[in-house]
Amino acid sequence: MDAKTAVPRRAETVAEIRQGLAAALPMMLGMIPAALVLGAQAAQKGFSVAEVPLLTGLNFAGGSEFAAVALWTSPPHILLIVAITFLINSRHILMGAALAPYLRHLPRRIVYPALFLMCDESWALALVDARRGGGFRLAHYLGLAVALYATWVVFTALGGAIGPVFGDARSWGLDMAFPAIFLVLLRGFWTGAAAARPWLVSLAVAVAAYLLLPGAWYVAAGALSGLAAAFLLAGSEA
Amino acid sequence: MIDGATLLTILLMASATYATRALGYAVLRGRTLSRRARVMMEAAPPCVLISVIAPAFASRDPADLLALAITLLAATRLPMLATVLIGIGAAGLLRHVLG
Repeated sequence: MDAKTAVPRRAETVAEIRQGLAAALPMMLGMIPAALVLGAQAAQKGFSVAEVPLLTGLNFAGGSEFAAVALWTSPPHILLIVAITFLINSRHILMGAALAPYLRHLPRRIVYPALFLMCDESWALALVDARRGGGFRLAHYLGLAVALYATWVVFTALGGAIGPVFGDARSWGLDMAFPAIFLVLLRGFWTGAAAARPWLVSLAVAVAAYLLLPGAWYVAAGALSGLAAAFLLAGSEA
Repeated sequence: MIDGATLLTILLMASATYATRALGYAVLRGRTLSRRARVMMEAAPPCVLISVIAPAFASRDPADLLALAITLLAATRLPMLATVLIGIGAAGLLRHVLG
Protein backbone atom coordinates (compact mmCIF):
# COMPACT_ATOMS: atom_id res chain seq x y z
CA MET A 1 0.00 0.00 0.00
CA ASP A 2 1.55 3.33 -1.02
CA ALA A 3 1.18 6.59 0.85
CA LYS A 4 -1.39 8.02 -1.56
CA THR A 5 -4.02 5.34 -0.95
CA ALA A 6 -3.15 4.87 2.72
CA VAL A 7 -4.42 8.28 3.75
CA PRO A 8 -7.96 8.10 2.33
CA ARG A 9 -8.28 4.51 3.56
CA ARG A 10 -7.31 5.57 7.02
CA ALA A 11 -9.79 8.47 6.92
CA GLU A 12 -12.46 6.04 5.77
CA THR A 13 -11.68 3.67 8.65
CA VAL A 14 -11.86 6.50 11.17
CA ALA A 15 -15.19 7.61 9.69
CA GLU A 16 -16.55 4.06 9.95
CA ILE A 17 -15.44 3.75 13.57
CA ARG A 18 -17.13 7.06 14.29
CA GLN A 19 -20.35 5.95 12.63
CA GLY A 20 -20.20 2.77 14.69
CA LEU A 21 -19.78 4.76 17.89
CA ALA A 22 -22.70 7.03 16.94
CA ALA A 23 -24.90 4.00 16.28
CA ALA A 24 -23.88 2.48 19.62
CA LEU A 25 -24.49 5.59 21.73
CA PRO A 26 -28.25 5.21 22.36
CA MET A 27 -27.72 1.53 23.15
CA MET A 28 -24.91 2.34 25.54
CA LEU A 29 -27.30 4.61 27.42
CA GLY A 30 -29.93 1.88 27.38
CA MET A 31 -27.45 -0.72 28.66
CA ILE A 32 -26.36 1.32 31.67
CA PRO A 33 -29.43 0.68 33.86
CA ALA A 34 -29.34 -3.06 33.14
CA ALA A 35 -25.58 -3.14 33.82
CA LEU A 36 -25.95 -1.35 37.16
CA VAL A 37 -28.76 -3.69 38.21
CA LEU A 38 -26.77 -6.79 37.26
CA GLY A 39 -23.70 -5.58 39.16
CA ALA A 40 -25.80 -4.76 42.21
CA GLN A 41 -27.50 -8.17 42.14
CA ALA A 42 -24.17 -9.95 41.78
CA ALA A 43 -22.77 -8.03 44.76
CA GLN A 44 -25.80 -9.11 46.79
CA LYS A 45 -25.00 -12.74 45.94
CA GLY A 46 -21.47 -12.30 47.28
CA PHE A 47 -19.48 -11.37 44.18
CA SER A 48 -16.44 -9.28 45.08
CA VAL A 49 -15.66 -5.97 43.34
CA ALA A 50 -13.12 -7.81 41.13
CA GLU A 51 -15.38 -10.78 40.34
CA VAL A 52 -18.19 -8.72 38.77
CA PRO A 53 -16.11 -7.32 35.85
CA LEU A 54 -14.36 -10.70 35.56
CA LEU A 55 -17.75 -12.28 34.86
CA THR A 56 -19.08 -9.57 32.55
CA GLY A 57 -15.76 -9.01 30.78
CA LEU A 58 -15.02 -12.67 30.00
CA ASN A 59 -18.57 -13.85 29.36
CA PHE A 60 -20.08 -10.63 27.96
CA ALA A 61 -23.63 -11.90 27.49
CA GLY A 62 -26.14 -10.11 29.71
CA GLY A 63 -29.01 -12.59 29.66
CA SER A 64 -26.84 -15.48 30.81
CA GLU A 65 -25.22 -13.29 33.46
CA PHE A 66 -28.58 -12.33 34.93
CA ALA A 67 -29.52 -16.02 34.95
CA ALA A 68 -26.19 -17.06 36.51
CA VAL A 69 -26.53 -14.47 39.27
CA ALA A 70 -30.14 -15.50 39.91
CA LEU A 71 -29.06 -19.16 40.21
CA TRP A 72 -25.91 -18.37 42.21
CA THR A 73 -25.30 -20.16 45.49
CA SER A 74 -22.19 -20.52 47.57
CA PRO A 75 -20.53 -22.67 46.31
CA PRO A 76 -22.13 -22.35 42.84
CA HIS A 77 -23.78 -25.27 40.98
CA ILE A 78 -21.17 -25.07 38.24
CA LEU A 79 -22.70 -27.47 35.71
CA LEU A 80 -26.20 -26.03 36.03
CA ILE A 81 -24.97 -22.50 35.54
CA VAL A 82 -22.75 -23.40 32.57
CA ALA A 83 -25.58 -25.39 30.92
CA ILE A 84 -28.04 -22.50 31.36
CA THR A 85 -25.41 -20.13 29.99
CA PHE A 86 -25.00 -22.24 26.86
CA LEU A 87 -28.76 -22.54 26.46
CA ILE A 88 -29.46 -18.84 26.76
CA ASN A 89 -26.58 -17.96 24.44
CA SER A 90 -27.37 -20.68 21.90
CA ARG A 91 -29.07 -17.93 19.92
CA HIS A 92 -25.53 -16.75 19.09
CA ILE A 93 -25.15 -19.87 16.93
CA LEU A 94 -28.01 -18.70 14.71
CA MET A 95 -26.75 -15.14 14.85
CA GLY A 96 -23.24 -16.14 13.76
CA ALA A 97 -24.73 -18.27 11.00
CA ALA A 98 -26.81 -15.32 9.77
CA LEU A 99 -23.72 -13.12 9.75
CA ALA A 100 -21.42 -15.71 8.11
CA PRO A 101 -22.36 -14.92 4.47
CA TYR A 102 -21.27 -11.30 5.03
CA LEU A 103 -17.87 -12.27 6.51
CA ARG A 104 -16.45 -14.16 3.52
CA HIS A 105 -14.04 -11.38 2.60
CA LEU A 106 -12.36 -11.45 6.03
CA PRO A 107 -9.62 -13.86 7.22
CA ARG A 108 -10.45 -16.21 10.09
CA ARG A 109 -7.76 -14.71 12.34
CA ILE A 110 -9.80 -11.46 12.26
CA VAL A 111 -13.28 -13.00 12.41
CA TYR A 112 -12.78 -15.29 15.42
CA PRO A 113 -11.56 -12.54 17.78
CA ALA A 114 -14.20 -10.13 16.40
CA LEU A 115 -16.95 -12.65 17.17
CA PHE A 116 -16.03 -12.48 20.86
CA LEU A 117 -17.67 -9.03 20.84
CA MET A 118 -20.87 -10.16 19.13
CA CYS A 119 -23.90 -9.38 21.30
CA ASP A 120 -27.58 -8.94 20.34
CA GLU A 121 -27.15 -5.23 19.72
CA SER A 122 -23.81 -5.22 17.87
CA TRP A 123 -24.88 -8.14 15.74
CA ALA A 124 -28.24 -6.61 14.81
CA LEU A 125 -26.65 -3.27 13.90
CA ALA A 126 -23.90 -4.93 11.86
CA LEU A 127 -26.40 -7.11 9.99
CA VAL A 128 -28.76 -4.22 9.18
CA ASP A 129 -25.71 -2.20 8.07
CA ALA A 130 -24.41 -5.06 5.89
CA ARG A 131 -27.83 -5.60 4.26
CA ARG A 132 -28.00 -1.93 3.33
CA GLY A 133 -25.79 -2.86 0.40
CA GLY A 134 -22.29 -1.97 1.54
CA GLY A 135 -21.61 -5.36 3.10
CA PHE A 136 -20.05 -5.98 6.52
CA ARG A 137 -17.79 -3.08 7.55
CA LEU A 138 -15.23 -4.31 10.10
CA ALA A 139 -14.23 -0.88 11.44
CA HIS A 140 -17.89 0.11 11.88
CA TYR A 141 -18.60 -3.15 13.73
CA LEU A 142 -15.53 -2.83 15.95
CA GLY A 143 -16.36 0.80 16.78
CA LEU A 144 -19.80 -0.05 18.05
CA ALA A 145 -18.97 -3.46 19.53
CA VAL A 146 -16.00 -2.20 21.58
CA ALA A 147 -18.09 0.74 22.83
CA LEU A 148 -20.87 -1.61 23.94
CA TYR A 149 -18.37 -4.00 25.54
CA ALA A 150 -16.65 -1.24 27.51
CA THR A 151 -19.99 0.17 28.66
CA TRP A 152 -21.17 -3.21 29.86
CA VAL A 153 -18.00 -4.08 31.77
CA VAL A 154 -17.53 -0.62 33.33
CA PHE A 155 -21.13 -0.19 34.47
CA THR A 156 -21.61 -3.72 35.77
CA ALA A 157 -18.44 -3.18 37.82
CA LEU A 158 -19.82 0.15 39.02
CA GLY A 159 -23.13 -1.52 39.91
CA GLY A 160 -21.22 -4.10 41.94
CA ALA A 161 -19.35 -1.37 43.79
CA ILE A 162 -22.25 1.01 44.50
CA GLY A 163 -25.05 -1.57 44.37
CA PRO A 164 -26.55 -1.23 47.84
CA VAL A 165 -26.83 2.57 47.45
CA PHE A 166 -28.61 2.30 44.11
CA GLY A 167 -31.91 0.87 45.38
CA ASP A 168 -34.75 -0.52 43.28
CA ALA A 169 -34.28 0.13 39.53
CA ARG A 170 -37.75 -1.18 38.77
CA SER A 171 -39.55 1.61 40.61
CA TRP A 172 -37.79 4.07 38.31
CA GLY A 173 -38.90 2.22 35.20
CA LEU A 174 -35.29 1.55 34.20
CA ASP A 175 -35.99 -2.08 33.38
CA MET A 176 -38.09 -0.94 30.39
CA ALA A 177 -34.87 0.15 28.65
CA PHE A 178 -34.17 -3.47 27.69
CA PRO A 179 -37.47 -4.18 25.83
CA ALA A 180 -37.33 -0.70 24.27
CA ILE A 181 -33.89 -1.43 22.75
CA PHE A 182 -34.99 -4.81 21.46
CA LEU A 183 -38.19 -3.44 19.92
CA VAL A 184 -36.25 -0.81 17.97
CA LEU A 185 -33.79 -3.51 16.86
CA LEU A 186 -36.76 -5.58 15.68
CA ARG A 187 -37.99 -2.71 13.55
CA GLY A 188 -34.73 -2.98 11.59
CA PHE A 189 -35.80 -6.48 10.49
CA TRP A 190 -39.34 -5.56 9.44
CA THR A 191 -40.04 -6.38 5.80
CA GLY A 192 -43.83 -6.67 6.02
CA ALA A 193 -46.54 -8.46 7.97
CA ALA A 194 -46.25 -11.74 6.04
CA ALA A 195 -42.55 -12.18 6.84
CA ALA A 196 -43.25 -11.28 10.46
CA ARG A 197 -45.69 -14.16 11.12
CA PRO A 198 -42.93 -16.30 12.72
CA TRP A 199 -42.24 -13.41 15.13
CA LEU A 200 -45.75 -13.77 16.57
CA VAL A 201 -45.30 -17.52 16.92
CA SER A 202 -42.01 -16.91 18.77
CA LEU A 203 -43.57 -14.34 21.06
CA ALA A 204 -46.61 -16.49 21.90
CA VAL A 205 -44.55 -19.60 22.60
CA ALA A 206 -41.90 -17.68 24.55
CA VAL A 207 -44.55 -16.03 26.74
CA ALA A 208 -46.24 -19.40 27.38
CA ALA A 209 -42.88 -21.04 28.13
CA TYR A 210 -41.89 -18.20 30.43
CA LEU A 211 -45.10 -18.65 32.42
CA LEU A 212 -45.06 -22.47 32.46
CA LEU A 213 -41.43 -23.61 32.45
CA PRO A 214 -38.69 -23.01 35.02
CA GLY A 215 -35.46 -21.18 34.20
CA ALA A 216 -34.59 -19.65 30.86
CA TRP A 217 -36.11 -22.24 28.50
CA TYR A 218 -38.41 -19.61 27.10
CA VAL A 219 -35.66 -18.12 24.91
CA ALA A 220 -34.89 -21.44 23.24
CA ALA A 221 -38.58 -22.42 23.00
CA GLY A 222 -39.60 -19.12 21.42
CA ALA A 223 -36.70 -18.96 18.98
CA LEU A 224 -37.05 -22.57 17.82
CA SER A 225 -40.83 -22.39 17.34
CA GLY A 226 -40.43 -19.21 15.29
CA LEU A 227 -37.86 -21.00 13.14
CA ALA A 228 -40.21 -23.96 12.73
CA ALA A 229 -42.95 -21.55 11.63
CA ALA A 230 -40.58 -19.91 9.13
CA PHE A 231 -39.64 -23.37 7.80
CA LEU A 232 -43.29 -24.37 7.32
CA LEU A 233 -44.29 -21.04 5.79
CA ALA A 234 -41.33 -21.13 3.38
CA GLY A 235 -42.44 -24.61 2.29
CA SER A 236 -46.05 -23.61 1.71
CA GLU A 237 -45.02 -20.75 -0.56
CA ALA A 238 -42.45 -22.69 -2.62
CA MET B 1 -10.17 -11.33 46.08
CA ILE B 2 -11.31 -13.96 43.66
CA ASP B 3 -12.84 -17.21 44.89
CA GLY B 4 -11.64 -20.43 43.21
CA ALA B 5 -15.09 -21.93 42.51
CA THR B 6 -16.33 -18.56 41.27
CA LEU B 7 -13.35 -18.24 38.93
CA LEU B 8 -13.87 -21.76 37.58
CA THR B 9 -17.57 -21.10 36.96
CA ILE B 10 -16.84 -17.82 35.21
CA LEU B 11 -14.17 -19.42 32.99
CA LEU B 12 -16.50 -22.27 31.99
CA MET B 13 -19.36 -19.83 31.35
CA ALA B 14 -17.05 -17.74 29.18
CA SER B 15 -15.97 -20.82 27.19
CA ALA B 16 -19.57 -21.92 26.65
CA THR B 17 -20.56 -18.43 25.53
CA TYR B 18 -17.62 -18.04 23.15
CA ALA B 19 -18.41 -21.45 21.66
CA THR B 20 -21.91 -20.20 20.77
CA ARG B 21 -20.43 -17.10 19.18
CA ALA B 22 -17.91 -18.99 17.02
CA LEU B 23 -20.01 -22.05 16.12
CA GLY B 24 -22.51 -20.58 13.66
CA TYR B 25 -19.74 -18.96 11.65
CA ALA B 26 -17.43 -21.98 11.86
CA VAL B 27 -20.09 -24.38 10.58
CA LEU B 28 -21.70 -22.23 7.88
CA ARG B 29 -18.68 -20.36 6.53
CA GLY B 30 -18.31 -20.85 2.79
CA ARG B 31 -21.51 -22.86 2.28
CA THR B 32 -24.32 -21.97 -0.07
CA LEU B 33 -27.69 -22.25 1.58
CA SER B 34 -30.94 -23.48 0.07
CA ARG B 35 -33.82 -21.02 -0.32
CA ARG B 36 -35.62 -22.52 2.65
CA ALA B 37 -32.51 -22.32 4.81
CA ARG B 38 -32.06 -18.69 3.79
CA VAL B 39 -35.66 -17.86 4.76
CA MET B 40 -35.06 -19.49 8.14
CA MET B 41 -31.78 -17.64 8.64
CA GLU B 42 -33.54 -14.37 7.92
CA ALA B 43 -36.34 -15.22 10.34
CA ALA B 44 -33.94 -16.30 13.10
CA PRO B 45 -32.76 -12.90 14.35
CA PRO B 46 -36.16 -11.31 15.03
CA CYS B 47 -37.47 -14.57 16.52
CA VAL B 48 -34.53 -14.61 18.93
CA LEU B 49 -34.85 -10.93 19.83
CA ILE B 50 -38.58 -11.12 20.53
CA SER B 51 -38.16 -14.30 22.60
CA VAL B 52 -35.56 -12.63 24.84
CA ILE B 53 -38.03 -9.86 25.80
CA ALA B 54 -41.02 -12.22 26.19
CA PRO B 55 -41.04 -11.78 30.01
CA ALA B 56 -42.07 -8.13 29.50
CA PHE B 57 -45.12 -9.32 27.51
CA ALA B 58 -45.96 -11.93 30.17
CA SER B 59 -46.48 -9.35 32.91
CA ARG B 60 -49.88 -9.24 34.63
CA ASP B 61 -49.40 -5.72 35.94
CA PRO B 62 -51.60 -3.29 33.91
CA ALA B 63 -49.05 -0.49 34.43
CA ASP B 64 -46.30 -2.68 32.92
CA LEU B 65 -48.45 -3.72 29.96
CA LEU B 66 -49.59 -0.17 29.22
CA ALA B 67 -45.99 1.07 29.42
CA LEU B 68 -44.95 -1.76 27.08
CA ALA B 69 -47.69 -0.78 24.60
CA ILE B 70 -46.49 2.83 24.66
CA THR B 71 -42.88 1.67 24.18
CA LEU B 72 -43.93 -0.58 21.29
CA LEU B 73 -45.74 2.32 19.62
CA ALA B 74 -42.70 4.56 20.11
CA ALA B 75 -40.42 1.86 18.67
CA THR B 76 -42.37 1.77 15.40
CA ARG B 77 -41.63 5.42 14.59
CA LEU B 78 -38.94 6.96 16.83
CA PRO B 79 -35.15 6.60 17.04
CA MET B 80 -33.48 4.38 19.65
CA LEU B 81 -32.72 6.94 22.34
CA ALA B 82 -36.16 8.59 22.24
CA THR B 83 -37.81 5.17 22.47
CA VAL B 84 -35.67 4.16 25.44
CA LEU B 85 -36.44 7.41 27.29
CA ILE B 86 -40.18 7.15 26.56
CA GLY B 87 -40.18 3.52 27.71
CA ILE B 88 -38.40 4.32 30.97
CA GLY B 89 -40.59 7.39 31.57
CA ALA B 90 -43.83 5.54 30.85
CA ALA B 91 -42.91 2.56 33.05
CA GLY B 92 -41.74 4.71 35.97
CA LEU B 93 -44.74 7.06 35.80
CA LEU B 94 -47.45 4.44 35.24
CA ARG B 95 -46.17 2.25 38.07
CA HIS B 96 -46.42 5.19 40.46
CA VAL B 97 -49.83 6.30 39.15
CA LEU B 98 -51.47 2.87 38.78
CA GLY B 99 -49.42 0.97 41.37
